[in-house]
Parts: sequence; C-alpha cells; structure tokens
Amino acid sequence: MSSDQDHLKETDTEARFEFKKEENSAVRSGKGLTEEVIRMISEDKDEPEWMLERRLRALKQYHNMPMPTDWPGQPDLTELDIEEIVPYIRPDVDKREGVDDWTELPDEIKDTFDKLGIPEAEKNALSGVGAQYESEVVYQNMQEQWEEKGVVFMNMDRAVKEHPELVKEYFMTTCVPPSDNKFAALHGAVWSGGSFVYIPEDVTVEMPVQAYFRMNSEGMGQFEHTLIVAEEGSEVHYIEGCSAPKYGAHNLHSGCVEVFVGEDAHVQYSTVQNWSKNTFNLNTKRAICEENATMEWVSGSMGSKATMLYPCTILKGRGATDTHITIAFAGEGQNIDTGAKVYHNAPETSSTIESKSISKDGGRTNYRGLVHIADGAENSSTAVECDALMFDNESTSDTMPYMEIEESKVDVAHEATVGKIGDEDIFYLQSRGLDDDDAKKMIVAGFIEPITEELPIEYAVELNRLIELEMEGSLG
Amino acid sequence: MSTTQVHANLTDEQVRQISGDLDEPEWLLETRLEALEALEDLEMPDVIRTPGRDWTNLHELDYESLVDPLNAAENKDQVGPDDVDVLPWAEAVAEHEDLIKEHFGSIVDPQENYLTALSTALFSTGTVIYVPEGVDAEDVTIRTEQNSRSLFNYTLVVTEESSSVTILERQSTGEEQDEQYYSGIVEVIAGENSNVQYGSLQNLSEEAYNFSLKRGDAGTYATIDWIEVNLGTQLTKSGVSTELNGDSSETQIVGAFYGHNDQHFDIDAKVWHRAEHTTADLVTRGVTDDVARSVYEGVQDVGRDAWDTSSYQRENTLMLSDESEADASPKLIINNHDTEASHSATVGQIDQEDLFYMTSRGIDPRSARNMLVEGFFVPVMEEIAVDELREDLEELVGARLRQRE
Repeated sequence: MSSDQDHLKETDTEARFEFKKEENSAVRSGKGLTEEVIRMISEDKDEPEWMLERRLRALKQYHNMPMPTDWPGQPDLTELDIEEIVPYIRPDVDKREGVDDWTELPDEIKDTFDKLGIPEAEKNALSGVGAQYESEVVYQNMQEQWEEKGVVFMNMDRAVKEHPELVKEYFMTTCVPPSDNKFAALHGAVWSGGSFVYIPEDVTVEMPVQAYFRMNSEGMGQFEHTLIVAEEGSEVHYIEGCSAPKYGAHNLHSGCVEVFVGEDAHVQYSTVQNWSKNTFNLNTKRAICEENATMEWVSGSMGSKATMLYPCTILKGRGATDTHITIAFAGEGQNIDTGAKVYHNAPETSSTIESKSISKDGGRTNYRGLVHIADGAENSSTAVECDALMFDNESTSDTMPYMEIEESKVDVAHEATVGKIGDEDIFYLQSRGLDDDDAKKMIVAGFIEPITEELPIEYAVELNRLIELEMEGSLG
Repeated sequence: MSTTQVHANLTDEQVRQISGDLDEPEWLLETRLEALEALEDLEMPDVIRTPGRDWTNLHELDYESLVDPLNAAENKDQVGPDDVDVLPWAEAVAEHEDLIKEHFGSIVDPQENYLTALSTALFSTGTVIYVPEGVDAEDVTIRTEQNSRSLFNYTLVVTEESSSVTILERQSTGEEQDEQYYSGIVEVIAGENSNVQYGSLQNLSEEAYNFSLKRGDAGTYATIDWIEVNLGTQLTKSGVSTELNGDSSETQIVGAFYGHNDQHFDIDAKVWHRAEHTTADLVTRGVTDDVARSVYEGVQDVGRDAWDTSSYQRENTLMLSDESEADASPKLIINNHDTEASHSATVGQIDQEDLFYMTSRGIDPRSARNMLVEGFFVPVMEEIAVDELREDLEELVGARLRQRE
C-alpha cells in the first residue's frame, strides 16, 4: 500500500477520495505505468531487491522521456496508447497458465503455421503455447552439451536468480541503459523473460544456440530481454525464432538485446521475426565489441503494423568488425522503419551494412542508418549498401542514411538503389514457362539470397516461405 | 526562443523605407511587412539532427548584431545580351510588375522559415532576368560585391517557351568588416521546353555568414541545371533544389565546395519528381581541410504520380586533414515504383597508392597532393558547361592549395 493511501486513511476526506483511490489502483483504469504495477511484476517473479530498484529507476526515466515523434518519415505512433498496455500486466501475472491450447489461437495465426508447414510440436513452441516449457527443453539440451565448458543458456528471469553477479554487471548498465530512449526505459521497467547466454573464455559453441522463446502469458512476452556475454576468444551463433504472432489486444513489443563481444570473440545474432499486423515493434538492440571482436547481425523483419528497429554496434576496441545483413518486408498497412547504427570508436575498425527491403500493396519500408566515425578511429572503413524492391505504386520506400565522419584516414561508402521488379526479368522467366507469380517469387528469392545464405537451412526456408506467403497475400 | 531576436530590433518603418526607396507597389510592401510580422513565429531552416547534435547550429548566430537593414552597400554589375531583360530590382519593378506579381514567392514561400522571411522583409537589391519566347541567351552575369555589414539579395528568372539562358552569378566581399551577413534567394521559373543554366560562385570573406536558397520550377520538357560552388564564408547554409513539375522535365545539380581553416558548409541538393518521365542527376564533390566541416544532405523525392522516373545522386568528400569533419546524408524518398533511382556517398582521404605512384615518378609530394586534389574535382568540372566558371573554380582551388603548407 502506498504512503499516499496511508495518508488518506488518516484524513476526514477519506470517503471522498476512496472512489479515486479505487480508480488509481485498478490497473485497467488507464492511469499508466505505476510503481505499484512494477512492484507487482517484480514480486511475482520473486526478484532480488536490486532488480526491483533498477525497474523503478527505469520507470522514472520512462516518465521523463519524450516519445519519438519528429523523425523525418518515421512511423505514426499515435495509435499506440502506452497507457493501455498496463492493464495487460496485472491479469498476466494473475493467470500464469495463459492461453495454453492450440485451438484458442486466432485463425490467422494457425493458418500461418499450417501454411508454413511447421510440425505440430514446433507449432506449439512458436505459438507460445507452453513455450516456457518448450524453451526450457531447449535450454536443458544446451546445458547438457555445454555446461561442462561453463556455457550458460537460460531464461533471463532465471538468470537473475542463478547468475546475479553477471546479470548485475551487464543488465542494462553500459550497453543499453534505460536512459537510452523511451522504449528502452519502458523495457527496463516492465521487462520479462528472454534469454541469457554466457560463453566463457576461449569456448567455441559450434552449433547455433537457438531460442524459440515465448512466454505463456500475454503481455509479458512482449518485453523480453536477451543478454549475451561472450568472453575473450569465444564464439557463438545465437538464433531467435521470433515468428510469434501476438494475440488481438496486444499492441506493443518492446524487446531489448544486449551483446558483449569480448576481445577476439565472435558473436552472430540472427533472428527472423514475424509479428502480427497490429503490433508496434519498438526495440533496442546493441552490441559492444572489444579489440578484434566480430559482431554479425542477421535479421529478417516481417509483420507488425509499425517497426522501429536499428540494431547498433559500438566498435570500442581496435580492429573490431561489424556486419549487418537485414531484410524488411512491408505489405498492406505496414510501416517497417529499420536500419543499422555503427559507432567506430577505435582505430582499424570496419563495418559493412547490407540492407534489403521489399514493399508491396501500400507497404512502407525505410532504411534509417547512422555511421559515426569518431576522431581518432583512423584506418577505419565502412560500406553501406541498401537495395529496395517495389512491387506496385501504392508502396513506398525511403533511404535515410546519416554519416558522421570526424576522422580523415577512413574509407566510407554508401550506396542505395531503388527499382521496380523488372518487366524484362519477368518476361524472360515467363518465356521459360513460369507464370507471373512464380516469376516474381523467383526474383524476390534471388533478391534476398544474401540474407538466406547466412541463416541455417530451417530459418532460410522459413524466411523464404514467409515472404512467399506475404507475396501471395495469404497471410492475415 | 531565439527566433525573435532580430524582429525586436526591426521596425515596419525600416521595411517601408526599403520598399519606398525601390518604388515598390503596395502589394509587395504588404508581402514584406507580413514576412516581418511572421518572424517571431517562424523557425530556423531545418538542419540535420542525429542523436545528441544539430549538424549546423544556426541558433548560435547573433542576427541582431549582423543585420543592418538601412545601411546596405554593394557594387553590382548585371549584364546580358540585348534580347534578354536583365534588370536591377527597381527597374524591374517599374517595367515588369505583372511578371513579378505572378512569380515572386511562388516557389520559395517568403514565410518558409525565419531566414527566408528575414530576406523577404529586408532585401534591397536584386535582379530580374526575363527571357522571351524562342530567345537563346548566353553570358548573363550578375556580380555582387558586398560592402556593408549585411546585404539581402533577390533574383528572379523567368524563361518563356523554347528559350534558353546561361546565367553566372558571383558573390564576393569588397569592404570587409569583422562579421558580415549575406542572404540570397533565387527563384527560377522555366517555361515549357526552355533551358536554364544557373551557375553560382560564392567567394565571400571568411568572416562572413551566408544563407542562400535557390529553387527552380521546371515546366514540361524544361531543363534546369544548377552549378553551386562554395568557397568563402565562415558559415554557409546553402540549398539548391528543383521541382520537376512538368512531364519530361530534367535537372542537374552540380556542387563543389572547398572548406579550410574553420569554415563550415551546410549544403543541400534536393529534387522533387512530380511529373512523368522526369530525370535528375545530382553530383557534388567537396574537400575539407584544417578544422573545416562539411554537412551534405541530398534528397531525391519521387512523388506518387511521378511515373517513369530516373534519379541519380552521388556525393564524394575528400578529407585533407585529421581535424576536419565531413558529414553526409543522401536520402531517397520513393512513392512511385516505376522508378530507377540510386544514390551513393563516399568520404575518404587522398589515396596513398596514387600519391606513392606520383612521387615515385619524380613529382614532389606537395605537388602530387595538389594534383590529386585538383583531379578529385575533375568529375564536377566536366559537368560545368560554363567555361568562365570552370576556369575560375580551377584557379581558386589551385590558389587555395598553394596557400596550404
């Protein structure tokens, strides 16, 4: 009980304020994110005091920060009512079981999985049904295989309790502090679930670490936190299958990914995301690379009503390398605003960004990038390449790169092209016996090949299938 | 906000006096007074912002101390062939009021931002160039030498059907003062099938501040080519743009700049494709040396109805010193899929292999470097069809290089 309420009890006007107090404490009242709600989440998770304190500090920062509203060409967020998210927290905490029956899923989602040809077991994992359980199984397997070497791979909530020293050091401290932006602050306050990956010095995890991570209660799963710590000389490929659609009422996904790439370490983070078309997908993903470290981002952004996501790498140590390979697809009513950010803060660092986008049926894609080369980051180089493919005249595609170059001994190149699907290409393929649709699919498959070849086969297949389905217009 | 700083210091009376001295009609005076009135509500021109910084901080300028509206002084030379009207502002107001009334402020809204409004309220010098139907005119030149603390200039170019004109404009400083402010607005209305080539060489004192905005409206089959060279001032905010409003219209924007000492150039090149079969080619090359800074923004905006668009942009910056900074943001905004568009931007230093190759052929390192910088400008030089402008640029770049240690 808050001190305000205690105070009210002592006053004559208690009866008059009682009504108001009820309104305040009812989480559905639209009063927004409150300390009470945060305490409720933390308590429900049985968290240590220090994590609660971090959440409360993030909440304060959240309230003090403005919404991003005046970026040129940014997605319209006016329909996003953050106050409306809160009500979903409380019931979630109450009914831990959540939706746990495949049949309770919306038809749109079930159809998607059927069309993807995903087997029942995997469907359950992807749909969030018993995902917590499914995730545990994945983690468990990993542990058996790697635990001898000291690799940790577990649910983030669990990591808070089992590896407090690591989490305390790395969780939203230096990589993505809650003060970074409004949604990072929001995330810091209400985060829930996610993955924790720790690779000790000189350990190479040869097979990709995969997480089909889903929370079983609505709302909570939208704020998952992924923390990857790769110590000196280690190597890991982490893959997140995020093709989890969200249920009707939910409208915000605000995840956070933090990656620490130690000296000479190598981390690849791959993700294929397909959010439902009513989701606002506003994420912060960032990596910090020490000397000679390598970070690779591979991502396919599908679905969502609006996405604002610019994975960022800070090249902090001499000789560090960063690679971004991204693909975005926007169909009817979708605005995918995505790109990449790289800060070259040390000499001899290099980065490459390869961004592809497809827009169709009025969809809107945007590449928004920032390459910053700090004074002193001599002999650094960056190459940015953006290609946009547009299917029709209802669609839009913008490219907005920003290059801030403070150092002269550098090599900076940016290139972007936009084009329609070539009539000649289609004609050629048709003359070889393909129908119009198949010809288009084939052209698109060729267009996105740089992405798919970086992904393990099952993800590449999934991405290809998702795009084919989007092109057929057969996804919700 | 700092936007009211000058307005407090300016009066209706001053504006009336400027307008009266030029014998302007009532409607023009009204336009000026409205611009003055609007100052307090208007913002500075947009500058690029990335997290934590404005790329050009116009708010730091003290316009109040820079603007001296009633003491403008200049040395002007405006000449052209006989069949073209090249008129000083007061004469143009007397002879071509209808033309001015039709076009003044039609492309650059006087109240577009704080600095356009300031310019509209206070301009005391200007030129109107009117090219009648079918006339081909070369060698129109406008030289403006600034001899006062502030100078506000306005240029209007109107070409009738199937005419063509080549205009060369220069701004320089005569009498230097501690700080000076030069502001120039250019509007070009290119009629059907006409061809306008507008070259500008800005070589003001390095104590000066400069705001310039040039914008053209290209009619059907019309071509507007801009050459924008910036060498002088301590701070320049320059915008060159074309609206391709007529089917099959074309534009080329060629830019060159060379910043040294602590110069700051904020340069943008923009094109709006608003009709069918339009073509744009934007090419800019710049050098930054010492602690100079360049900010480049290039925008290719393809509208919903701009079918069959071709749009190309490339920007390259060469950094000669470690303390200089070169920022760039080339943007593509595409709303029509029947488009072939590309842009590219690079930033780098002199290629060490080239330098090595030249020195190994017996050229001393300093000459080799100068030749490589001159060579860097060749792709834009080649696009400059006005011989005089190209030669001047070559000479000025050469002089600046020789001045270098």
